[in-house]
Amino acid sequence: METTLAGHAMETLPHVTWLGVLIKAVIILAVISAIAGFGTFIERKVLAFMQRRLGPMHVGPFGLLQLAADGIKLFTKEDIVPQNANRFIFMIAPIITAATAFIALSAVPVFPDFTIPEFIPLLGGTFVPSIAADLNIGILFVLGMMAAGLYGPLLAGMSQANKWGIIGAARTAVQFLSYEVVTGLSILAPIMLVGSLSFVDFNDYQQGGIGSWLIWQQPVAFVLFLIAGFAETNRTPFDLLEHEAEVVSGYATEYSGMRWGMFFIGEYANMITVSIIAAVVFLGGYSVEGIGWLFIILKVAFFFFLMLWVRASWPHIRPDQLMWLCWKVLMPIALINILITAIVILL
Amino acid sequence: MGKVNIKIDGKEYAVKEGEFILNAARANDVFIPAICYLTRCSPTLACRICLVEADGKQVYACNAKVKDGMEVTVNTPNILEERRAIMEVYDVNHPLQCGVCDKSGECELQNYTLELGVDSQSYTIQDTKRETTNWSSVLHYDAGLCIVCERCTTACKDMIGDAAITTVKRGGEALDKGLKSTMPKDAYAMWNKLQKSVIAPSNGTEFTNCSDCGECVAVCPVGALSSRDFVYTSNAWDLKRTPATCAHCSSGCQIYYETKPASIEDRTEKIFRVTNEWNYVSLCGAGRFGYDFENRVKEKDEKAFSKAVEAVKNAGTIRFNSVITNEEAMMLQTLKEKTGVKLVNPDARVFQKFLNAYSVASGQSLYSLDFKDVMATDFVMSVGSSLRNDNPNARYAFNNVQKMNKGAGLYFHPVGDNLVPTFGKNVEVFTHKVGLEEAALYLILDLFADESKLPSDVKEYLASFKSTSTKTVKEKVMKSVTETVVDKETGESKEVTKKVPVMEEKEVTVESNGLVELLGKSSDTFATTFEKMMKKKESFSLVVGEDLYFHAKAENIARLIALIETASSVSVAMIPPKTNSLGVALICELDDEATGSTVGYNENGDFTLSALGRGDLDMPSMNQQEGTLTNMHKRVTPTNAALEYHGYELNDIMKVLIDAPRETIDWTVKLPVTKGFKAVEFDSLPNGYLNDGTENRGYTLETVKTDAEEIAVEKVDESMVLDGEIVYRCNPQRQFNDFSDKAHEIFEAFGLYASKARAEALGAKVEITFDNRSIVVDVIEDERMEGDIVALSDFKSSQDVYALFGESRYKNVTMRKV
Amino acid sequence: MGLEQFKNRNVGTQNYTKLDVGVKPATSMDQFKQVVKRTFKGELFVGLWVTLREMVNALFLDKMHTVKYPFEKMPISPRYRAIHDMLRLLESGHYRCIGCGLCEKICISNCISMDTRYDENQRKEVTEYTINFGRCIFCGYCAEVCPELAIVHGQRYETASEQRASFSLFEDMLTPIDKLNLQQEYDGFGAVSPNADANIKKTPLAY
Repeated sequence: METTLAGHAMETLPHVTWLGVLIKAVIILAVISAIAGFGTFIERKVLAFMQRRLGPMHVGPFGLLQLAADGIKLFTKEDIVPQNANRFIFMIAPIITAATAFIALSAVPVFPDFTIPEFIPLLGGTFVPSIAADLNIGILFVLGMMAAGLYGPLLAGMSQANKWGIIGAARTAVQFLSYEVVTGLSILAPIMLVGSLSFVDFNDYQQGGIGSWLIWQQPVAFVLFLIAGFAETNRTPFDLLEHEAEVVSGYATEYSGMRWGMFFIGEYANMITVSIIAAVVFLGGYSVEGIGWLFIILKVAFFFFLMLWVRASWPHIRPDQLMWLCWKVLMPIALINILITAIVILL
Repeated sequence: MGKVNIKIDGKEYAVKEGEFILNAARANDVFIPAICYLTRCSPTLACRICLVEADGKQVYACNAKVKDGMEVTVNTPNILEERRAIMEVYDVNHPLQCGVCDKSGECELQNYTLELGVDSQSYTIQDTKRETTNWSSVLHYDAGLCIVCERCTTACKDMIGDAAITTVKRGGEALDKGLKSTMPKDAYAMWNKLQKSVIAPSNGTEFTNCSDCGECVAVCPVGALSSRDFVYTSNAWDLKRTPATCAHCSSGCQIYYETKPASIEDRTEKIFRVTNEWNYVSLCGAGRFGYDFENRVKEKDEKAFSKAVEAVKNAGTIRFNSVITNEEAMMLQTLKEKTGVKLVNPDARVFQKFLNAYSVASGQSLYSLDFKDVMATDFVMSVGSSLRNDNPNARYAFNNVQKMNKGAGLYFHPVGDNLVPTFGKNVEVFTHKVGLEEAALYLILDLFADESKLPSDVKEYLASFKSTSTKTVKEKVMKSVTETVVDKETGESKEVTKKVPVMEEKEVTVESNGLVELLGKSSDTFATTFEKMMKKKESFSLVVGEDLYFHAKAENIARLIALIETASSVSVAMIPPKTNSLGVALICELDDEATGSTVGYNENGDFTLSALGRGDLDMPSMNQQEGTLTNMHKRVTPTNAALEYHGYELNDIMKVLIDAPRETIDWTVKLPVTKGFKAVEFDSLPNGYLNDGTENRGYTLETVKTDAEEIAVEKVDESMVLDGEIVYRCNPQRQFNDFSDKAHEIFEAFGLYASKARAEALGAKVEITFDNRSIVVDVIEDERMEGDIVALSDFKSSQDVYALFGESRYKNVTMRKV
Repeated sequence: MGLEQFKNRNVGTQNYTKLDVGVKPATSMDQFKQVVKRTFKGELFVGLWVTLREMVNALFLDKMHTVKYPFEKMPISPRYRAIHDMLRLLESGHYRCIGCGLCEKICISNCISMDTRYDENQRKEVTEYTINFGRCIFCGYCAEVCPELAIVHGQRYETASEQRASFSLFEDMLTPIDKLNLQQEYDGFGAVSPNADANIKKTPLAY
């Protein structure tokens, strides 16, 4: 697999080495895991504020160490495997969710590139790229990986010998079939405009300031992608899989301890992935110059916040409504959007 | 007594003739309000709310006797108005401290105030300060709460005989004279008296000089009188009442032990007080205040138990006293039948002998009267018992006869006593020489016997005491004098006959009785007083006591008593010396001499079983065990465990040694029917009183009749007479045994009790030398005693006073000041 | 709320306002129209706005609802039946309890006990008084029956304790003598009714 540097700076930047990629991978794993955990804290805080509550307050300043407390709790809790569960599948299902979420992130540009200063021994002078693997089919890879991540809940629900788990698994299948079509179709129009599946190309395409952002050319695609993204990450209003009022905890009913925690990390990693994709594809991505890298963080943060905001505001919908919405409303609109885009390109 | 028919509120009832309306109503469950009246005592007419209408006239139900065909109306508008006014008056200035009052809702003032619906007050008067005082070491009087119903004074006088308290002036504000016309008449009269009086000790000091029986506390309808120990310690409703039989003396009174946890820290049950059905039974000080003699045992001491089993198995003798239940006596008797162990119990043994001699002579296994019957007679005699100390119930009966039946009494006893003469004006006291008890009985024979029924030798013997002499007496004679009187106005002369008293000297033949002289009284003055005493007397009773059982000629005395019963209309009641002496005497075959090793049950021995907590193996005390007691009323009464006991009991030993049933009370049915007991289960024995005063407790012993033989009696043996320094074995009032001594509210000490003059002469401490050994004791002054004979207590078994005296209650001793 | 309304339990017919849900779409076209209408009407954004507004209110306008419970406490109703207080007389500072034992008697869980004695001033002294809060069901009968308003339900509602010994003795419940001025007259459960004076018949006092 050929790795390239970010577009126009190709000549001036050092070569990408396997060590750089490894470091990047470790950074992504560490930071995203941390952010995923931190995300839970942020979620609780934001939801609390929106309900005019304080949220976690007691562990650490402003409750910041709640995160650590929860982590300790999850790690030290007993890992229970139900008697009649399919043991092997039950145990690997959460790993599928978490692994696919992080694998997807390998093809997504996260943070700008940098060179480790010379004075640090061993690693000094190593160039760390902004993207671990700048695939030329980046978008396709990411979408594929995220879709594969749905096997986690599906297998978890089916393996645990619990009726709530089975219902959760069925809902996973339903949701999977419904939104994946919309995701693909909605992002097809921007791909047609850019002419590439690489995120770097998308980023470069929109470097001409806010006016060049794809959101202005493809507003319908943006909205469709956003809706599909919510579904992809199982966020309200599409949290059918584990809606506790209906199916206790859905596919996660029988999970405890860190295995349950992996579903959580996967979900939050997915949220971050979707936020980054949306920011890169539609909102101009990152800029290499100056503090341009800061804007991508703001953009991702906005999408992340939007997800929490929506969760605080909106009720969730039924599985049949989800299918109705995806197949009967969103898919036709996406097709029309592609058609119009194609006509515009041809003209 | 006959029955008459009366109508109360239109309903017909057959009631006892000559009864008060109130008692007749109560016996038939008809409610007439009354505060001051006490059954068995004379009406006081202090409260006046028992006002009823009888045959159209307002009368006081407690004071008016029923007549045949009488129609009684309990409530009329006028009477209700009177009663309400009376209750209002009682409530004027009565402190509203019901919250802390010891009566805690069992208050008759409160009840009647509510009963009569007093919801507003029409009267008022300024209150005067009334002090709270302690009358004695046990009596506490809160004058502020007192409604001067005089129940306490009535009970003290009519029942107890101490008459230690009385109403005195208190200097209250005078009533407004205008009220006399405006308020109901009886209420005004009641108020007038209430406002003036308060209760105080009758001897003029601040302290009562009485037997501290606490009966005044029991009868008090409000919280004015209470025991000092109980004041403000518990509410009545917190206390659990356990009906029981008092275990101190042979009276066997029905009592309730009232228990609750001792305190917040100590949750073990404790007896807080003893109460009684005061309308039907009167307690003495030991019964009321001597309740905390329990033996607290936490757990079973198996080691001591196995030793005890071994000791009883190898014992030659079991020594015990009569503070024991019938069941335990039965166990011991059964043991004796199985193993041949000897049973030694000195007090029951002499009583048994005496009773046997009596039944052989009289042909009945038991004496004729119980003390209820004695109370119903109008002439009562007492021989051989220190009435004040030996048995409270006998004394109450003697007193009650004087007060209630307008009775008369003869009291024969060597120890002078200044209380007995105060029981009534027709009480004659013979302070005779020690050893002349037979002479007293011969005198009774002489006074009451139908001569035709007497054996000729007795007749001759009695006649030998009689002598006649002539005497000059001055006598007042009414003479008729006829005078001629001239009327000054008319001038007519008239013959008028007048009666004029003239003193004349007269020669009379006086029959003098040597027996009276022998017993220390002047024969001719006694003859006249006796004539007075005998007026309107119909029923006669004789109470005999412990002196006679311990008399050297006890058997002759027993025959004499049998002779008195057969030859005269005098019936006899006996006072068993200790709690259950009668029961033990009937159940056990007792031995005179101890042999081999001795096991002592609450007595000294080589191995001791003790309910006092100082023996080799602990036993439950009387308030910790179930069983029956035979009391002097010839009644087998049940007693119940008021406090918990976790140790071994006698039946546990019996279970190992002989074929004993599971529980002690399983022995109740096995009591010997041949001796008059009944085969009744313990659990079916009632323990209470009915509304008309019928004693519904346990059952009465059957008197077994046999053919009486010719009674041969011996003459008075004057060699028995003791002179010189004499000690009498006699307990102070309120002390009967180690158990009463253990109780913290009984203060009477072990010692030598003497009259005031004698105590002064003896000093603080004396050494008394008996035949076998000597004892050093404190001298305690007893104001009620007279004469030179001193009384040595025997309630402490550790002092072994019984052994000092042997089979006698009087001993010639030498005393030396220490 | 008046007693009338309070007693009327048939609330369903009175106080609810019915939501106007409009007409249900009959045909597919109507359904589509409804979707379009709802989509472009921006109702969803109203929802978003509401939550955002509340967040702004909470964070910047100091309208946070949360009470930081162990550190700050909400006032509770005087009728609330919390841990008992033993009150003192305001004038003398002596405890009000007269040791009548009515609370002990009426207590249906049998958790009150007291020791009393006759003291040197000829009064009934309460030497010890305990309530076993492990057993107390806070029914309030003790406060209701108390003739002296001596035992009341106070404001202390944290009843958990690690040991029985931490439950109250007399001194723990008694108003501290230095805080007598802070003692509040109780107007809750068992207090004297407001019209008590009117219900009492006066006794003549001629002197």
